[in-house]
Amino acid sequence: MAEEAIFEYLHSEIVSYTLNKEGDKENDLSALEYIGYTTGYRIIERLTREWPRFKDELDTMKFICTDFWSSIYRKQIDNLRTNHQGVYVLQDNAFRFLTRLSTGSQYLEHAPKFVAFTCGLVRGSLANLGITSVVTAEVQTMPSCKFHIQVNRG
Amino acid sequence: MIYNLYIFDKYGTLMYYSEWNRLKQSGITKDEEAKLMYGMLFSLKSFVNKISPIDPKEGFLFYKTNKYALHYVEVSSGLKFVLNTDTTATGIKDFLLQLYSKIWVEYVVRNPLWTIGTPVTSDLFKTKLDEFVRASPLFGPKII
Repeated sequence: MAEEAIFEYLHSEIVSYTLNKEGDKENDLSALEYIGYTTGYRIIERLTREWPRFKDELDTMKFICTDFWSSIYRKQIDNLRTNHQGVYVLQDNAFRFLTRLSTGSQYLEHAPKFVAFTCGLVRGSLANLGITSVVTAEVQTMPSCKFHIQVNRG
Repeated sequence: MIYNLYIFDKYGTLMYYSEWNRLKQSGITKDEEAKLMYGMLFSLKSFVNKISPIDPKEGFLFYKTNKYALHYVEVSSGLKFVLNTDTTATGIKDFLLQLYSKIWVEYVVRNPLWTIGTPVTSDLFKTKLDEFVRASPLFGPKII
């Protein structure tokens, strides 16, 4: 699993680099989120080439939960929920960047740093599929993580 | 029976210490004890290599008293695993190498919040290590 480790190590270095560089602006995750956004935007170009056009928004979300997630994190999203008003909740019970950290509340304060990139990743992917959104993440007990997607319809 | 475990890095820093069936304490602080332990290992290693009448290959592997045995495994990166067991335990080298690849690499090296060269504080590592040691057939009290 060499290629997985390299992605993990690179990600953790990017996290510590971008956060240390900001210096006084503590916990500014926007740089990380933006790296995720552009990465996601680019990934979609290649990943969807074999796919027919998506029927609707839900169809796109299902793609994110299954194929997209598997190609990046080697597993699917465990649970997808929606209120059919443009809010989606994607739950990953063993989110890759958190599984080596803790299985409880130790280091919980560090969790946001390790999910920001992925928030951007999802936002960027959706953007390239024609869906403008705001993606946030919520971590209550590691290594489980919920991604909230709020679709902008305007 | 497994008594206790020390993990040192290549510079002699005590990365982790844990004990299970230790009945007698040294009476000095853990810090001092670790320094003493590392100093002895360092000396033993160089002594064994110097005095060896033939190519020592792996060098120092273990020593045994009539009450316990100390096993020593050093990996390529200079990380050192030191395990005290009863005198009948076997297959410790494999056990320590497994511990290295399944527990140390997984939960210390791959933990982004561990800073290289600092002692391990992760609860997850602690839990996994404890599970791993307790699950081993070596762990149980000696059957006489």
